[in-house]
Amino acid sequence: MFSDYAALIVLLPVIAFVLTLFLGKKLPHGGAYLPIAAIAGSFIISLGTFLEIYPTDGIVQQSMPWFAGMNLGILIDPLAVVMLMMVSFVSLLIHIYAVGYMSHDPAKPRYFAETSLFTAAMLSVILSDNILQFFISWELVGLCSFLLIGFWYHKPSAAAAAKKAFLVTRVGDVMFLAGIVLLYVNMSEIITSRAFSVGPENFILQFKTMFEAIPLINPTQLTYITLLFFGGAIGKSGQFPLHGWLPDAMEGPTTVSALIHAATMVTAGVYLVARTFPMFAATPATLSAGVPDSLLIVAYVGGFTALFAATMGLVMNDIKRVLAYSTVSQLGYMMLALGTAGAVVGAQAVGISMFHLISHAFFKALLFLCAGSVIHAVGTNDIREMGGLFGKMKITGTTMFIAALALAGIGIPFINIGTAGFFSKDMIIEKAFEYGELKGDFIPYAFAIIAALLTSIYIFRLWFMAFTGKPRSERHSHESPGVMTRPLMILALFALFFGFAHLGFYDYLNKNFELMTGEKAALEGESLQMSPIIVLLPVIVGVLGLLISYAIYHRRMLDMSKLVSTQNPLYKLLLNRYYEPKIGADIIGVKLTHDVVAQSGEFVDRKIIDGLVIDNIIGNTLFKLGEFVRKLQTGVVQNYASVTILGIGLLIIILRIKFGGT
Amino acid sequence: MSYGLLAPEIILTIVGLVIILLGLLITDKSKNMIGYFGAAGLVVALGYVLKTMTAEGSFFYNALVIDPLSQIFKLIFLIVSLMVVIASISYFKDNRNQDEYYALILLSTVGMMVVASANDLVALFVGFELASMSTYVLAGFEKKNPASLEAALKYFIIGSLSSALMLFGMSLVYGVTGSTNIPVIIEFFKTNPMMATNSLDIIAMIFLVAGFGFKMALVPFHMWAPDTYEGSPSVVSSLLAAGSKKMGFVAAFRVLVLALVAIRIDIQMTFAILAVITMTYGNIVAISQRSIKRMLAYSSIAQAGYISLAFVVMTQMSVAGGVLLALGHALMKGGAFIAVALVGYMVLSDNRNAKNLDDIGNFAGLGKRAPITAFSLLVFFLALAGIPPSAGFIGKFVLFYSITIEAVAQASNWLLLVVIIAILNSALSIYYYARVIRYMYVLPPNGEKIKEPTPYVVAILLAVIGTIGIGIYPEPFIQMAMNAASVLGV
Repeated sequence: MFSDYAALIVLLPVIAFVLTLFLGKKLPHGGAYLPIAAIAGSFIISLGTFLEIYPTDGIVQQSMPWFAGMNLGILIDPLAVVMLMMVSFVSLLIHIYAVGYMSHDPAKPRYFAETSLFTAAMLSVILSDNILQFFISWELVGLCSFLLIGFWYHKPSAAAAAKKAFLVTRVGDVMFLAGIVLLYVNMSEIITSRAFSVGPENFILQFKTMFEAIPLINPTQLTYITLLFFGGAIGKSGQFPLHGWLPDAMEGPTTVSALIHAATMVTAGVYLVARTFPMFAATPATLSAGVPDSLLIVAYVGGFTALFAATMGLVMNDIKRVLAYSTVSQLGYMMLALGTAGAVVGAQAVGISMFHLISHAFFKALLFLCAGSVIHAVGTNDIREMGGLFGKMKITGTTMFIAALALAGIGIPFINIGTAGFFSKDMIIEKAFEYGELKGDFIPYAFAIIAALLTSIYIFRLWFMAFTGKPRSERHSHESPGVMTRPLMILALFALFFGFAHLGFYDYLNKNFELMTGEKAALEGESLQMSPIIVLLPVIVGVLGLLISYAIYHRRMLDMSKLVSTQNPLYKLLLNRYYEPKIGADIIGVKLTHDVVAQSGEFVDRKIIDGLVIDNIIGNTLFKLGEFVRKLQTGVVQNYASVTILGIGLLIIILRIKFGGT
Repeated sequence: MSYGLLAPEIILTIVGLVIILLGLLITDKSKNMIGYFGAAGLVVALGYVLKTMTAEGSFFYNALVIDPLSQIFKLIFLIVSLMVVIASISYFKDNRNQDEYYALILLSTVGMMVVASANDLVALFVGFELASMSTYVLAGFEKKNPASLEAALKYFIIGSLSSALMLFGMSLVYGVTGSTNIPVIIEFFKTNPMMATNSLDIIAMIFLVAGFGFKMALVPFHMWAPDTYEGSPSVVSSLLAAGSKKMGFVAAFRVLVLALVAIRIDIQMTFAILAVITMTYGNIVAISQRSIKRMLAYSSIAQAGYISLAFVVMTQMSVAGGVLLALGHALMKGGAFIAVALVGYMVLSDNRNAKNLDDIGNFAGLGKRAPITAFSLLVFFLALAGIPPSAGFIGKFVLFYSITIEAVAQASNWLLLVVIIAILNSALSIYYYARVIRYMYVLPPNGEKIKEPTPYVVAILLAVIGTIGIGIYPEPFIQMAMNAASVLGV
């Protein structure tokens, strides 16, 4: 019964967007209750749909023709339904929290309208049953993120960050679009060669049709298509080398950061790879031709990003930037899971990756909201100016510690008790090890395990610096109001206990692609027997990181001042984020793009088109011609009548000449 | 025989007459209600037409027919009238002659609908005259405004001349064939091929074209249009440009089949020349206008040029394209004129004695002063320039595509040239639309933000939704237009 109203999952927030935009000013709290009610509705429908289809392993498919053999439609399979529940739920909590967080902002209606549209766009990405609709919603997500990152547009840094986010993700989007075009070309070729039929129930860019057509697509082309898709995912999910926009995106309100980083935008990239996973899995390795299979590239990019971002997370002093790099790093894990586990256990990799995605959504949203609570209280983003907050902010401190435990993946192996991150991240690291055993390639595993250690260090560094020790600033800080702390507590419960759902979750998601295409999943991996040390290692590095941070930042057993100085080249390199913003912005951005492209473009535009062609030649000539012809319009009605008669005469003459007349 | 299918015409006639009676009975103050009453009548008629989109039937000895072609044009007329009536609730607020105004609008709509259904030359002429007579009066409705009177007078004189020509054309057809019923005429030419090459036929056809061309504002029968659109009340310009202009097209669709199917004279080249001259002339003259209503009038002439490309090849698809563009143009141009009316209202609220209400200078900073209006105008202008996703794009796309197909099929270079000229014209038109957009969004405003009256906003948003809606989801409309075109049997 709920599944019949699946379209409302997207439509409710869209309606809330329109209403809030126009009526928000007249409603209490800038109309915040409209999006909250709408997203609560989306969540209830998602949950109801899940409860309906879970017992029967059903899926929901609705579609209608759009144009040129393409369609608009809804597909709710296990993959989509878990994402729907997570996105609507986390977004709901963030919206509730924002009522408190944004209470002093005069532009509340705009804020709530935009976040509502943002949520709607993301839900629409998830629900899409075809790649074109997916792309359109994906672009809408990008547009909304641009609006929200630049929410405080009077701040130059916010405007610049919004622009950067928009442009960098655009690089990925162009690749994604190119992938769709290439796919479309291939699909139409397959269809015209009549090897394959597209009926009224089967549209050309529908995921179902695409997956059925996989064996018919030229393997090299398939590799290109998947890599182009992955290019889109790199942009959206902030993977190396398009990760630069994500930390800068912190310029928006913290609630927006939480929405972008936990629930919506960045997970879209991972979701894209998961959604089209059968295509990735089908790409052949043609190493002889110098083309590895796409999953390998996904694994390496993901693994490298996980490590690379974690190193930068170590030295950042802005609380939100630490979390931003943490997000980049964790997204790297999800990609790594798709890549390595994909090679080991086939489509089950989707379950492993999605489980981390969802548990990450809980604890990362929690971390951001805690950070927001801290910033709200002390009025600065710099962790060097915080300290000793635990005494004043018990709830925030405790919930943030829980989130940090979850991020570090701490738990007790063998008896399976632990935080959400313990189950989800350790599974990824184990699969990376199995991949190493299988392929004799332990590099992804090394990435993963080193990144796990760094993760634990940076997150506890953050916590110890903010909440313990002596206060380092004069400011009077206080615990946040209930409307802000209650979402924290709810999220903390999920960060603690969500992990126990892991077995059911994996089972459910494993059926995903069978349900859609009606075929059994190709690969059934057998579990390797792993030595206890491998199982233990992720937890050991997690605890080790906690202890290191405790020793350095709480007990001050080590004097960090020598290490942390701009004299130290390594520290300098990290603090300057590998000079990537400099390289990206100054060299590529300014020197290459601006100087070469923009200058020449400007020259062409101003000197040739504007100066010469439009204004002087075309513009003036046409304007004069227009003036001349206008004089024919004398305004004297007798002339008008004469012209009419003259016209008739001319027509008769033309026709008589043509026919000679009879 | 049941007259159920003619219910929309009957309802509107009754509502129109009731409005006149009401006007005699109620006080001047309560006349503001009449607009709502008229709108309600239109909504009922519109609902009825929507319900019978695919119905077929014939009435009064086959003088009127109901078929998909008549229904889609009735849809256009009713939507335009509805928009105009809603906007007029604000425009003619507190005018003591409102009752006559609304009655005339409804009766002219009935006239247009009769033309859409006409299957007989006499019925067609009667409908034509009913619509024309009503609009002559409407154009001069602002009695104290000399421009409005001049507009009405010019419209009336040229209109009468055209009616006379058209009637003369019809009488020639009757003289040759002995009938005024269109199917009978076609049948006659088929059974008497000797008569089909008579030079009287050519003259008759040209006179008919001149009569319809007057309403369509095709060059050289267009001269009245800029003066009349500029001088008339903006809401009436909206009715003229968006509604009564389409009456010329539906009449031409119904009658020119004669020329093609029956008389077999090659009017392809003639119409191509007319269309190309019309669109180029309209676009070029529009560039140098400072009055936005005049600019819209010339752009409307240009659009008539595009639509009449449908007559050049007369395939099912090209007719469908013409119908689609007519539908789109009704929404875009109707909406644009109403938006101009709103700007006039804005200028008057600054200064009661302002002149040249539609001068481009008054559009400066409109994006800040009247955001909904400015945004809607932006949509209409982009749609008129044929930028997707909009009704203007879909119409032009189908139309140009159909001609390209025909050009390839006939291996005809000059047809291809016609398409290229049409596309270049579309590009040219962006020049003058962009100028207004620059005024609206780049230049600083010269006044305070105003509150946009609700009736205007409702009418404009109706048009915006239609314009974008057709652009986003064109499939059912294309289907509807294809059905309509199939009626002609070309």
